[in-house]
Amino acid sequence: MRAGLIGVLHLYSNQGMTIMLTSIVSRAAVLGVGLGMALSGAAWAGTYNLTVDYVTIDTGEFTRTGIGYNGSAKPPTLRFKEGEEVTINVTNNLDEDTSIHWHGLILPYQEDGVPGISFDGIKPGETFTYNFPIIQGGTYWFHSHSGFQEPDGAYGALILEPEEREKYRYDKEYVVQLTDTHPHWGSRIMRNLKMMPDYYNRQQRTLTDFLSDASETGLDAAWADRANWGEMRMMPTDIEDVQGFTPMINGMGPDQNWTGLFEKGERIRLRFINSSAMTYFDIRIPGLKMTVVQADGNDVLPVPVDEFRIAVAETYDVIVRPREDKAYTVFAESMGRTAFARGTLAPREGMEAEVPALRNPPLLTMADMALDPAMASMDHGSMAMGEMDHANMPMSDDDLPPGAHRMPDGTIMGGPGKDPFYAAGSGVTPEAAKKHGKFLSYKDLKASNPLYPDREATREIELRLTGNMERYIWSINGVKYQDADPIRLQYGERVRFKFVNETMMTHPMHLHGMWSIIDNGTGARDPIKHVVSVAPGTEVYMETEVDAPGQWAFHCHLSYHADSGMFRKVIVEGGPEDDLAKLNLPTGG
Amino acid sequence: MKFKSLLRASAPVLFAISTATAAPVLAGVGHGDGASGQVGQSSDVSRTIMVTMYDNYYEPAEISVREGETVKFIITNAGELVHEFNIGTPDAHDAHGPEMMMMVEHGILEADRINWDAAKKMQKNMGHGMHEEPNSALLEPGKSAEIIWQFPDHATLEFACNVPGHYDAGMVGDIKLSH
Repeated sequence: MRAGLIGVLHLYSNQGMTIMLTSIVSRAAVLGVGLGMALSGAAWAGTYNLTVDYVTIDTGEFTRTGIGYNGSAKPPTLRFKEGEEVTINVTNNLDEDTSIHWHGLILPYQEDGVPGISFDGIKPGETFTYNFPIIQGGTYWFHSHSGFQEPDGAYGALILEPEEREKYRYDKEYVVQLTDTHPHWGSRIMRNLKMMPDYYNRQQRTLTDFLSDASETGLDAAWADRANWGEMRMMPTDIEDVQGFTPMINGMGPDQNWTGLFEKGERIRLRFINSSAMTYFDIRIPGLKMTVVQADGNDVLPVPVDEFRIAVAETYDVIVRPREDKAYTVFAESMGRTAFARGTLAPREGMEAEVPALRNPPLLTMADMALDPAMASMDHGSMAMGEMDHANMPMSDDDLPPGAHRMPDGTIMGGPGKDPFYAAGSGVTPEAAKKHGKFLSYKDLKASNPLYPDREATREIELRLTGNMERYIWSINGVKYQDADPIRLQYGERVRFKFVNETMMTHPMHLHGMWSIIDNGTGARDPIKHVVSVAPGTEVYMETEVDAPGQWAFHCHLSYHADSGMFRKVIVEGGPEDDLAKLNLPTGG
Repeated sequence: MKFKSLLRASAPVLFAISTATAAPVLAGVGHGDGASGQVGQSSDVSRTIMVTMYDNYYEPAEISVREGETVKFIITNAGELVHEFNIGTPDAHDAHGPEMMMMVEHGILEADRINWDAAKKMQKNMGHGMHEEPNSALLEPGKSAEIIWQFPDHATLEFACNVPGHYDAGMVGDIKLSH
């Protein structure tokens, strides 16, 4: 049916922006039988054009110059089909190099868009043509991998339509793409952080807080607490180290109120994407249960939840079914509770629902400082924590989060939902706003379609996530990217990565080119992701089937952490002869 | 509340087991209000409807029956997950959901199998477990079951899977009653 069809289609993003799609369908009829058979798996070939431009971003609270695509500050949505061979022409209208990384896509490494690792980048005035097959379905996104262009606005959504029928049903779908738009250019933010790591921390504890602590816990305890935090060069409020941003949904600030329309009774698929530079969000829609059906582009067994946390660079697809003819607020609080994104689902334009108040900011606890007493001395870490006597940790029972309790031996157990992906007693353990509500945990994610047979890993690689907050240096195993050797993996092995977070911040770790299978105890159904969030004071294991030759980036997706050194190059050695012959590894990077 | 005894020996035979493996077929719990109809007699069966359960949808996607008609359903789970075929009102499905969640939390209902040991343990510890209901069948992958059901004259009915998350993901279809 499709043979010989040549057409030009208009593709509309959810923001109404038009992207030209030239679609050339080639099948046996046009190409001759022999070639047609060779191409039998790739029926579609779409050509897409993107320009990278300076644009004006209006958050409703401030306007700034930033970077966008096709002349618009609204992030575009590109929609591809599984099985399609895409050609994407990217024209750089900036006065500096740019690049596009197709986040979460499995593709040849030369198409992955990381300057210095996959290619040389795109010079001002040049057009670079990406060309790769789409071999997966799901919700993904794309962004610049050059400098701080992504925080400055260079991101968009990718929807890959799967070949097979989806395992869930919906009447409508919307992309809900979050970001943390800051009035400052990313390069300026980085300079300020290097100069003064707490430059953007507006929640510093004050003398009043200290006196208040002293009156509650006694002067000695309050002073000891201060001294411990001081020695770590960290503060209990170090949850968001870049504050002062306006959260946006699909390029619209809270007052601009992005709205998705529905008719009551319809099922709506919301494709949440966190394109923030630095900000995790806790998302809920008061009055609606959300059924999580996909995480990072891969289907999971459906999980009904009231709220979920989305790490930087993650995606979650949920299905909601508003049964009433009224407006519902999509509410996304930043993890540090300094700001919120807000949108609305409504039967008609212009309707609004109540916008909840921000909850109180969490405070990091001593549990976020160290995984276990052995780590408290930190002689192997680069963070200048000094000697800490674990037995004298000043954390009082009053500091424990709700649900947590102290065991007779002094250890802290439990906490809200007992989420094993947070340290017991951690100050950042999420808790649903709804009373007795369900908050999604990584432990709830079970792969709907395991991509690989479950097998024993061939070896383990330990990656300690480390940092020196005083100089705003973030690193892996105490070594920053510029000083580190690449991680060498062998084609065909299954590597078990052990993340040990020795910092007090939460790091969304992203391996390019290959899947990150989180060990959440589900075995064959361990969830398949591209971002693994590692909370303070925890160990998290992920396994990777090394099946993609070439060289790839592996880094913390917090923009300023990646840039300051929490980054590695991964080289995959070996592989099928055919692939080897095609490899032409650049020497740079 | 509606968890009674597990596989009551005295329960009427509500559906035959059509697979050669002859595994016990568990019905979900719930309903009992009669609003959705009642157990039918095989002598009244006017026709047979084949229902196939996939992950996470049914074929056919909706079912049309006549008022008062008695239908034999032959239900096969062709998916890789445990699924349920349950006839009820939307409210009955709503009420049934938390019970199914409880079965998950007790380790009885796993993604792709029913853990009979856990079911027995729950029965022993808590004095209640699962029991057969004539309006539903809870099937492991590859299993089949039959239900004979007499529909009422008036009702808003759906057939649905109340395994947690499945109904919400769209594993539900309308039952249209016609004159």
